[in-house]
Amino acid sequence: MHRISLKVVMTFIKKEFRQMSRTPAMIFLVLVAPLIQLMILGFTVTNEVKHVKLFIEDRDNTHTSQMLSRSFTSTDRFDLIQNTQNLKPNVLISDWKAQLIVTIPRGFAKELALGRKPALQIMVDGLDGNSAAVALSYAQGIIALFINSELNIPYKYPVNAAILKAMPAQADVQDRMWYNADLNSAQYMVPGIVVILVTIISMMVAAMSLVKEKEIGTLEQLMVTPVRKSELLLGKLIPYWLISLFEINFVMLAAHFIFNIHFAGSPITLGFMAAIYLLTTLGMGILISTMTNTQQQAMFFAWFMMVFLLLLSGLFVPIQNMPLSIKRLTLLNPMSYFMTITREIVIKGNGLKYLWKEALALFVYGIGIFTISVIKFRKVTK
Amino acid sequence: MPDKKLQAMVQTIDLTKRFGKFTAVNNLNLSINKGEIFGFLGANGAGKTTAIRMLCGLLKPTSGKAIVADCDIMTESECLKQRIGYMSQRFALYEDLTVRENVLFYSGIYQVKQEQALATAETMLTEMGIDLKDKALTKSLPLGYKQRLALTCSLLHNPQLLFLDEPTSGVDPQARRAFWNVINKLADAGKTVIVTTHFMDEAEYCHRVLVMQNGETIALGRPGELKTQNKVDNMQQLFLKLVS
Repeated sequence: MHRISLKVVMTFIKKEFRQMSRTPAMIFLVLVAPLIQLMILGFTVTNEVKHVKLFIEDRDNTHTSQMLSRSFTSTDRFDLIQNTQNLKPNVLISDWKAQLIVTIPRGFAKELALGRKPALQIMVDGLDGNSAAVALSYAQGIIALFINSELNIPYKYPVNAAILKAMPAQADVQDRMWYNADLNSAQYMVPGIVVILVTIISMMVAAMSLVKEKEIGTLEQLMVTPVRKSELLLGKLIPYWLISLFEINFVMLAAHFIFNIHFAGSPITLGFMAAIYLLTTLGMGILISTMTNTQQQAMFFAWFMMVFLLLLSGLFVPIQNMPLSIKRLTLLNPMSYFMTITREIVIKGNGLKYLWKEALALFVYGIGIFTISVIKFRKVTK
Repeated sequence: MPDKKLQAMVQTIDLTKRFGKFTAVNNLNLSINKGEIFGFLGANGAGKTTAIRMLCGLLKPTSGKAIVADCDIMTESECLKQRIGYMSQRFALYEDLTVRENVLFYSGIYQVKQEQALATAETMLTEMGIDLKDKALTKSLPLGYKQRLALTCSLLHNPQLLFLDEPTSGVDPQARRAFWNVINKLADAGKTVIVTTHFMDEAEYCHRVLVMQNGETIALGRPGELKTQNKVDNMQQLFLKLVS
């Protein structure tokens, strides 16, 4: 084995940068496209439940029941709808007019005044089970708060207040959320979205770039030169590595300003981790391009892999919730490591001390994939 | 006979390439001398491009042996690549680089000194009226210019042997003529040139030609001799007679 010539690698790097600077589509793909995607996905991909369509069927129609109805409007969790056509509650739900229906029975105010526990009916559209459960608990909370405050007003309901005071003191639970005190969904989701965008784009550009040379015939020309496989592939890897590294910093910075993402940890540690992670994504791109002959094939392969990487990354579904066998499968997914690393650094502010295992896994992954692509890449066709 | 071995630039013994059941090149035996312009003739799919791709180490033969520029194509393909130049019909240039940048790129790949490469390129290109300092991108050049630039890039490392795979397809007759003048000059300077073509008038310019059909050699010799043997006036007639 001869040594890799740095001069030859530099020749490739210079060429790639020259070509990139003349391809406006490339600049769009690397900088503008992820920004647009970040803006759209950042605002839409959230696990918060807001603006649930709520219909209140008030059969009591008293001052108290109207007060209860009003307490639902003081939050953006619910949008109160009117039933002008007098539809049945089940029709409202199946017609997508309401997602949650609260029925206040006749005599509700009277029962409450007597200190009894009046029964209320809540109907929920359980199509999206998770959101339904969250909406239900919001509704229950609002009702509980209302009833408690009604019962707690001493001059209005003196009898009931006395009863309440006679009740044994409950344990006083004080809760405090760490790391993301406001339970802000964007703080959790947006860094994950950045990871996805950077993964897709870096894998694509690496795969496309080499396959494009196959298509236009320049790769064949290179095959009849004494250039080494590793020189050629490093010459592809390094420029796209630099570009992707710039991109991830750029998009993270944009996320910081657009979504007020608070950086608990060190951006330098994150940059270091990204540098390791990008070896893997670019390596996968190059591996795909060694196995395909046209940009279309490469694109198909890249998307095929993306679906697995994405769904097993822990962005949407926490890995802890997955079945054991699938959980093991995520150990093979480099994106899941980087997803963890990014969230730990950005949200929790953890440093290398806690993340070195993930970093090491990514490093081994990156070097491994690149080595496989060097082996798979052939200068001589069989 | 050490002298003879030194003379032969290409020597093949039963060189064969099969793709599955299809035989692209069957038992090719030939010897090409230094300084020769050697033509591979044949219809599309006759096996000439496959033969050339094996000889320059792009394609692995199924069986047989070939020594090219004193390198065994099976075991010494890397040393072979330092000694040969290759230009295909696709003119593998980077269209989004300028002429000068293309020259610099290939000089970097062959590890030739930049000044030396630029000097070589300048003499070859100014002859054709291509300005090395032109800021225009390669994609804006006419086809004939691209062809010359591709040829220049494949000669930067001063190879002994040059492979040209249908170098003139799509190029106008005037540029083709000019191109053949350059090939003749290269041969005069002692370089061996192996060229594939389906233009029979170009076959006349070759010192020797090999006519292929369905992977088989159907004729091998000097154009003049072949014409006399087959009692025809030109290569076009010869080719049609041999192939039918």
